[in-house]
Amino acid sequence: MRRGASILAAAALAVIASALSAAPKARGTGAGVYTEAQAGEGARVYAVRCAMCHGPGLAGTVETPGLVGKFMANWAGRPLGDLYDYLGRAMPQPSPGSLTAEDNARLVAFLLKANGVAAGTTALPADSAALRRLVLEPVRPR
Amino acid sequence: MAMPRAGLAAAPAAMPTPAAGMKPRLAPMRVSPDQLIDMKCCIRPLRAAGPNLGTEIVGDRLVVHNYGHGGSGWSLSWGSAEVAVGKALSVLPESIAVVGCGIVGLTSAVVAQRAGLKVTIYARELLPRTRSFRASGSYTPGSRIALVGPAGAQFPELWEQMARFSWKMFRTFLGLPGNPVEFCDSYNVSDKPIERRKWPPNPAIAGSWETAGLPQQNSEFAHLDERIRDIVPQPVDLAPEENPFDTPYAQRSSHMYFNFPAYGHMLLTEFFERGGRYVMRDFHSPAEFAGLPEKVVIHATGYAARDLWQDRTIIPVRGQTGWLVPQPEAHYSLRSNNMSLLSKADGVVVMNNNPDMGDMLGVGDSTELPNRAPIEEALAALAPLFAPLAVRGGRS
Ligand SMILES: Cc1cc2nc3c(=O)[nH]c(=O)nc-3n(C[C@H](O)[C@H](O)[C@H](O)COP(=O)(O)OP(=O)(O)OC[C@H]3O[C@@H](n4cnc5c(N)ncnc54)[C@H](O)[C@@H]3O)c2cc1C
Ligand code: HEC
Repeated sequence: MRRGASILAAAALAVIASALSAAPKARGTGAGVYTEAQAGEGARVYAVRCAMCHGPGLAGTVETPGLVGKFMANWAGRPLGDLYDYLGRAMPQPSPGSLTAEDNARLVAFLLKANGVAAGTTALPADSAALRRLVLEPVRPR
Repeated sequence: MAMPRAGLAAAPAAMPTPAAGMKPRLAPMRVSPDQLIDMKCCIRPLRAAGPNLGTEIVGDRLVVHNYGHGGSGWSLSWGSAEVAVGKALSVLPESIAVVGCGIVGLTSAVVAQRAGLKVTIYARELLPRTRSFRASGSYTPGSRIALVGPAGAQFPELWEQMARFSWKMFRTFLGLPGNPVEFCDSYNVSDKPIERRKWPPNPAIAGSWETAGLPQQNSEFAHLDERIRDIVPQPVDLAPEENPFDTPYAQRSSHMYFNFPAYGHMLLTEFFERGGRYVMRDFHSPAEFAGLPEKVVIHATGYAARDLWQDRTIIPVRGQTGWLVPQPEAHYSLRSNNMSLLSKADGVVVMNNNPDMGDMLGVGDSTELPNRAPIEEALAALAPLFAPLAVRGGRS
């Protein structure tokens, strides 16, 4: 099992290294960057505003992207601020721009949790600039 | 020819749509033993808890399982591949290996390529020589897919997601050259009123999969088809004047099925055109996965996983089909008392599934050898049903 972690460790290191060269103060999301409570609040927002399209289990459909699995391939290695900004600009698709900053951060926390990123003791800030210094790291799927 | 309905253009001659009260003119099928050109037998890889889509680490390879799809491997192939490839993608590989080239492995490979990955398939056989090619090949996503108890409360939702996803993907192949995916009318005829058979638990049967290692009765099987009845055409009762077979009772539904040669050709062509590589290889233990050059491996060996991965929760469920000379002019399927004929591009599929056995037919049986007698029995029993069609003549 110890060796098993290496594929992910390598991917994560590469992710951080490339982000570091761009923004010197970047940290990885493996460090525990959101709280369970925040993700739980995000789940409630998700159920009301997102689940009808992305599915209660985040699986998506043929027409709407899922928010697990391939989602990681689409967003890992980038600053979390990118995802936060995207949600703030483009989602929920029928009323883009309608998320409060707090709900947006809760949704990002919920998406991290749904993709296997471990929770920590401090909540994600509802602040795009601060989230730019956090890099989404890949996690071994279950 | 159908009467054009007022205000609508006439239906094209190739697709007669009978107005209510008219018997469709069907070409009778030639159903005799001299037409029998092939028999195929196969094992459905029923896994008690449903397909394994979990992951594990072997050496430092991430293995994503995608096996154990029972009698539903074709039907769930796209949805199941979507889940497996999603997991593979989440660790950001550039290339992956797929072990197995049945319908599940090959579809996984193509889904991974469509997501931009370089894919190598390692398998003993390519699709046309796998168990997948020995299926009957209809959209039957709920067939022998899991046992209720071991599958647990979460499974039905995952199943529904995979079944719906696959249904939509199959629609993207309708009307392509060779008709890899097709619909036809499907008639079920009977001397008695037709009711959907129900299987309440039989209290006289004490054992179960948990105690005996094999399911003991039909009520142990998950029956999930109700969840997608909004998209899958349901049978409608036919009035006597609409019933081409003149039996006292009849139902008609529409049926989606796969023409294996065109479908297999299409998928293999896409795989190789996207730069896919095939390596003929036989694996003897999971540890050999660690020696593959790719860091992520999708494992799709179907029933063979019972031995290769020592997964003893896989239960063999034997089934067989007979194949008559293709009869494209008879574009429909007919069923009576669980004996059936389905006219596909590569032949008319004959099945004879004992109606009193239900899902238990073939359970625990891994004798993968065809038996001619039940197929001839079905031919003899079904042949007389075509007499009224022959009297009326073929299509107008
Ligand atoms: C009579 C019958 C009718 C059926 N009808 C339908 C139907 O109408 N609709 C439907 O959806 N499903 C149907 N099924 C079920 C369907 O056939 C299976 O679910 C499906 O074939 C499973 O596909 P697979 O790719 O997992 O496995 P397989 O087709 O068995 O492919 C396994 C692959 O792994 C390779 N492999 C195995 N072991 C090794 C090894 N040790 N090393 C290297 N390679 C290996 C094989 O060569 C092959 O390439 C039917 C089954 C039967 C028996
Ligand atoms: C009306 C349906 C709908 C709703 C509601 C909706 N989305 Fe989306 N979402 C989509 C579609 C469609 C896309 C693809 C957008 C595109 O390609 O333009 C998408 C894309 C996304 C993506 C990008 C996926 C990727 O991998 O790049 C994320 C993340 C996302 N949505 C999150 C959310 C969240 C969070 C909510 C709730 C606040 C939400 N969506 C509500 C339809 C919806």
